[in-house]
Amino acid sequence: MENKENNSSPASLKDLPIGYQFPSVSYELTESVVAKYLSAVGGQQDFLKSGIVPPLAIAACAITALSQSFAVPPGSIHASQELEFLKIVPVGSTISCGGRIAHRLERGRLNLMSIEISALNQDEEEVLTGKATIAIPS
Amino acid sequence: MFERPRPADFHQGSSLPTVVKHVTQREINLYAEASGDFNPIHIDEAFAAATPLGGTIAHGMLILAYASEMMTRAFGQSWLDGGRLSVRFKAAARPEDTITTSGRVDSIEDREGIPHAHCSLECCNQKGEVIITGEAVVKLQ
Repeated sequence: MENKENNSSPASLKDLPIGYQFPSVSYELTESVVAKYLSAVGGQQDFLKSGIVPPLAIAACAITALSQSFAVPPGSIHASQELEFLKIVPVGSTISCGGRIAHRLERGRLNLMSIEISALNQDEEEVLTGKATIAIPS
Repeated sequence: MFERPRPADFHQGSSLPTVVKHVTQREINLYAEASGDFNPIHIDEAFAAATPLGGTIAHGMLILAYASEMMTRAFGQSWLDGGRLSVRFKAAARPEDTITTSGRVDSIEDREGIPHAHCSLECCNQKGEVIITGEAVVKLQ
């Protein structure tokens, strides 16, 4: 993933309130990033031939880009994931990604935090939305 | 390259094309480079060995990519521009695991005149342990 912006002084995810908006981050889905992604996940070479970014590659890079603006406490687990793919993304696109804390829930020794994610293409069209839930030890 | 599905090809109970993948540390490392997720639990074997997990684990989103591959094979372009997915990560996949991803059409429902397939999906390791379970919805046109 080729990041175009970097955010500094990350706060702990555990301390962020409901409604907190993450700073927007942009990244470019170059042919080399997509090729590397496809090597990792195996198969799916039709994507490169078609010049289309696999939707899970957009999602994975979005989650990673957003996570650079907060610190994930040790022992945290990616508990669940929702995704909706709204528009095909051509290889070479620049994606801008934003997010907000949607829910916090204490369950036993875990804090469950849900982060809503939205990814836009360079024409500011929404191409992907999602919600990641992270389980953080108390 | 990616075609639209034909509604006649799907009915309640239809199986989706099974995807079988062998996970290696090399692929996990490549995935870290591609996604930018360099969490040491995935790539640092010495670090991971000292944690309760006892070794490196694959990124959850790497295993989820296998489910998306299954949906792409089954539904083509309709998955890429309109597919929806909701999954839970139940257990970790480890290097040298063989992950089998399977799914089926649970129901087909009309929404504003467009048939949508509601599917269940599962990723299991070679021991039959469920790594990911969830649902997906895709339009059949």
